[in-house]
Amino acid sequence: MAPLELLLELTLMPLVAFLVGMMMVLMMRRIAARIQRRVGPPLFQPLYDIVKLHSKQTQVSHGLIHDIGIVMAMGGYIAAETLLPVPGMNGIAEKGGIITLLYLMMIPSLGLALGVGQCANPNGSIGIARALTAMLAYDIPLVIVIFGVAYAAGTTNLVDIIAQQQAGGFATWGAVQMPLLAVAGLIAMHASLGKQPFEIYIAPAEIATGPMVEMSGKHLGGLFVMQCFQLYTISVLYVSLFLGGGSTWFDFLLKSFLVLAIPASIAYLFPRYRTEDLLRLMWKWPVMLGLIGVAFVL
Amino acid sequence: MSSINQIPVIEAKKGNPLARVFDELVRFCRSRSLFILHYCTGCGAIELPPAMTSRFDMERLGIQPMVSPRQADILLITGYVSIKTLKRVILTYEQMGSPKYVIGICSCTVNGGMYWQSYATAKKLDEYMPVDLYIAGCMPRPEAVIAGLQQLMDSIHAGKANSWEDYYRNYDYYLGNQQKLFGDNWQTPTDVIAEAKHYNLLSKGTLGVHTRLLEQHQQPLEALEMRLGHNLKEPTE
Amino acid sequence: MTLTLLDELLLFSGATLLVALFIGRGLAAGWMVTILYGGQLLTLLKMAALGYGGGIIASSLSFTVMGQNLSWRFDALSWFFALITLGSALLSSWFACGAWERSYAKQGGNIWLFHLAMALNVLSMLILLASGDLLSLFIGWELVSWAGFLLMALAGGVATQAAMRYITYAMAGGMAIFGGLALVYSSSGSLQLDAVLIAVESMSTTKLWLLVILFGGGFGVKMGLLPFHLWQAPAYAETPGPGSAFLGAISSRMGLFAILLVLVKLFGIVNIDSLKIPFTLIDARDLLAWIAVFTIIFPTFTAMKQNDARHLLAWHGIGQGGYMLLGVVVADAMGGAGGLLHVFNHATYQAALFMAVTAVIHRTGTADLNKLGGLVVRMPLSFMVLLIGIIGLAGLPPMNGFVSKWLVYRSLLNEGMPLLFLAAVIGTLGTILSVYKLIHNIFLGQLRVEHEQVKEAPWSMMAPMLILAAIIFITGLFPGIPLAWVASVQEVVGLPATDYTLGGVESVSGSLDMIWVIGVLFAGFGIGAVIFYSAGRSKRVHQLDNYAGGHFLSADVRYQYSDNFYAGLMHLVGGWYRGSFLWLEKSVISLIDFLSLVMQGLYRRANAEFYLLSTALFVMAWVVI
Repeated sequence: MAPLELLLELTLMPLVAFLVGMMMVLMMRRIAARIQRRVGPPLFQPLYDIVKLHSKQTQVSHGLIHDIGIVMAMGGYIAAETLLPVPGMNGIAEKGGIITLLYLMMIPSLGLALGVGQCANPNGSIGIARALTAMLAYDIPLVIVIFGVAYAAGTTNLVDIIAQQQAGGFATWGAVQMPLLAVAGLIAMHASLGKQPFEIYIAPAEIATGPMVEMSGKHLGGLFVMQCFQLYTISVLYVSLFLGGGSTWFDFLLKSFLVLAIPASIAYLFPRYRTEDLLRLMWKWPVMLGLIGVAFVL
Repeated sequence: MSSINQIPVIEAKKGNPLARVFDELVRFCRSRSLFILHYCTGCGAIELPPAMTSRFDMERLGIQPMVSPRQADILLITGYVSIKTLKRVILTYEQMGSPKYVIGICSCTVNGGMYWQSYATAKKLDEYMPVDLYIAGCMPRPEAVIAGLQQLMDSIHAGKANSWEDYYRNYDYYLGNQQKLFGDNWQTPTDVIAEAKHYNLLSKGTLGVHTRLLEQHQQPLEALEMRLGHNLKEPTE
Repeated sequence: MTLTLLDELLLFSGATLLVALFIGRGLAAGWMVTILYGGQLLTLLKMAALGYGGGIIASSLSFTVMGQNLSWRFDALSWFFALITLGSALLSSWFACGAWERSYAKQGGNIWLFHLAMALNVLSMLILLASGDLLSLFIGWELVSWAGFLLMALAGGVATQAAMRYITYAMAGGMAIFGGLALVYSSSGSLQLDAVLIAVESMSTTKLWLLVILFGGGFGVKMGLLPFHLWQAPAYAETPGPGSAFLGAISSRMGLFAILLVLVKLFGIVNIDSLKIPFTLIDARDLLAWIAVFTIIFPTFTAMKQNDARHLLAWHGIGQGGYMLLGVVVADAMGGAGGLLHVFNHATYQAALFMAVTAVIHRTGTADLNKLGGLVVRMPLSFMVLLIGIIGLAGLPPMNGFVSKWLVYRSLLNEGMPLLFLAAVIGTLGTILSVYKLIHNIFLGQLRVEHEQVKEAPWSMMAPMLILAAIIFITGLFPGIPLAWVASVQEVVGLPATDYTLGGVESVSGSLDMIWVIGVLFAGFGIGAVIFYSAGRSKRVHQLDNYAGGHFLSADVRYQYSDNFYAGLMHLVGGWYRGSFLWLEKSVISLIDFLSLVMQGLYRRANAEFYLLSTALFVMAWVVI
């Protein structure tokens, strides 16, 4: 591939991710509003929020690590997007594969954890402790699911996994071939979004939004940007693993938004679990489904 | 068009057109994205849930509740402010990031309301911090709250909601009132004077008698700068 | 007689020991020893051809004892381990020189003994690594065990107790190995590697089983494999700082070296695979793999509960050993490469982590995670080293630990082992949890008043730490450098060699190119920084200007979350920590106590009538039957 073309792809992929991610944020807020019989925010609300936060006059910082943490949180996802194939663009997906992607997705959490740590606020530290615990909870089913898919496809290369699913149309989709893994993956994906009932680490009424407690201005803005990327990454990853990726952009976006709409419609109906209940839930049902699914694959 | 004052005059626009567009965008976004921190001190708080939920839905105006002062743009004070509470209100206000706006809801924040005679209540909120908007009433209906918020949005968009600068410009006045209530030892962790310098808002009213009194006993909390310390001498043991 | 390079190396090492012994009390003895380690490393680098598929370098020293020929030689396997040994010895010794030495001596430590113990450890490890037959392996093994004991027992008190525990385990392990040797000798009539290699082919299954258990158990003790891991964490943690960096980096990997030499090279993975456990689906290889993953999981989650930074790291050292064994036992090209590469990677970050923690202890006097906090503003470079180290330990990109763990995962995926894969990932997640606790409780959060005036660690300590941090990053960026050595080790021990490139590995079923991954990651950080720093200038605030629900914070009240860090998790899993292995250890001890008491009783009670009667009965029974 021509280097210029590759460079263009590497630039476009995060940019698309950001724009689509903002729409996804909007969709989640709109769904929440509709479920609560409200109107919900206007079309460009996510953009307004981000611009406003970045243009705040006061930018309170607790130190260098606080700043670097936010940079890492954004940068990690920007890098992860280039490993996630979209229609027409593969970026460097072939050079990393799905395990690398999974680990790159942990970099933002690590960055955030460092940044929050320097804020010297125990609410934030408790939030991070809970976030890491939640990660321990949902990553176990997620890893089982990814093992199953990668083993069935015989590769960790996402481009190949998508190509294999697209080869035979609907019948070769991951969700059709491995329905149990698809269900387990959906639950794990929901938990990794950090929305109700799994939002133990935000818990506004309990630990004052946990990691975000001392975030203001561009720090909070960075987290808003990160959230756009997060929603995009998780839903596109699910689409690539189970719904055959996207052959066209329309197809691709439709699937990604639909996938995200499922947890969004469930989320706002429930209150919050306690940490240990989340662990218990995650380690029981999706793990069980996932293991049975993997047994079928093997 | 009866009076000459009402004839609109279009002022010649100056400066870099790009920067003007950018400023306009920033002002617009600021007005359309407001995070509120509701400091619910009194009965007015009961009117906020209806304003947020399905009946009136503040979120369609881009207004949503936030939890900590760092994240918030608007400080909503919904009722009487006792002297003990006022200390916390001031701390919270100072921790918020500017541009920040204060809205006093209910009569109590305007003049003490039914607590006028109470020894323990601060009567006028705007003696202690600049208030952008009062929504009077006992209590105001959610419609009034929404109307007030829309008015605030308009003035932010017009670039007129700058009262937060007043806190830095006239810090001596506000501090004086605070000292009158809390005693001479009053101090918050925020170093307002240093911040005023940081924002280039230091002016005639910033320093005065009261700030001198503050400086006498203040132990300024300077940020812990990262340092290597190799240039220092080894401690002699 | 011409000296081969190996002779030179061993003589150099012996000379280092003599210098430490005789002029180790003199001025700047530490620096002298450090320079000599550097010399040893240079000699080793002269043998670098070994690491790239070169032949064997033999020592001219060899003699015959009771018909057994003892010889010493270096091949790629020995060279790889020796490189790690000497590298960590050099840096740990450098770290010890200067400021640390002075404060150690001031606290009543014996610096002469410390350097002597280090030199002895290095020499004995080199002798072990050079062993050319099973007898010299056993001799080297015992030397290493006792040298390790010397270093561990240095600090006295708790450390001596831990070292006593270690030596008890090590002796039991030594006995097992000795038993194994006797068994091998009885069937092959020789302890030469070639002879054993032939004899293994004709061995009965029972015998092979016995040998796997004896050798696996014996070497497993040193490696801290379950259930023989209890000694390791306290013993390593209580060693004086640079010593624990050295021990943590390489000492227990000697067990892996011996396992590679005996179980993988001599017995062969195929033979081990053929050993089925009756009435179950698993064989000896699966058993080893499961021991490996339990070694990953249990110590990692034990580490999470530690409140002392050194103990936390030492427990992780045990857990990471599991990844190495797991990779080797999976034994395909990627798994073997992952396991072996992890030896190198682990040595780099474990040494860096122990050094960073020692630097903190040097400045603040404590490693108690509940008594520290916020030190990042006072010790930023140590923070950076610890951060790089924990990213490596947790196995996240862009550090080197990621590459080796990726290879292990990849091999488990290729071979279709979901449960082992899952267990390995659980270990990694647990590691992330516990290392965040480590860095948060030491460097992040609120700075204590008594640490306001703390300074960064002195340069004599900082320099080796920074070098290690650089190595961790560079071998993460170019994993091809150590993978070249690893590939030749794989060839030597008879595993399929991996197809490596400078940036990672090439494979049809998904490759890894770290140069691209890291390049993109840093480009992402760059864009993130542009987005972040394009917004207005930050105003730094003091840590007490903080949200506390309207409360006024003051320095005398701690506003920090450190104790019971993962409270929610512990609500669920807290009850699962049963201390079963401690219980097992105690029951073995009391069993031995009881047996010795019985023996003592029999011996003391010289009851002639009883003996006469029983002998008579025995004789009668014999006559009648």
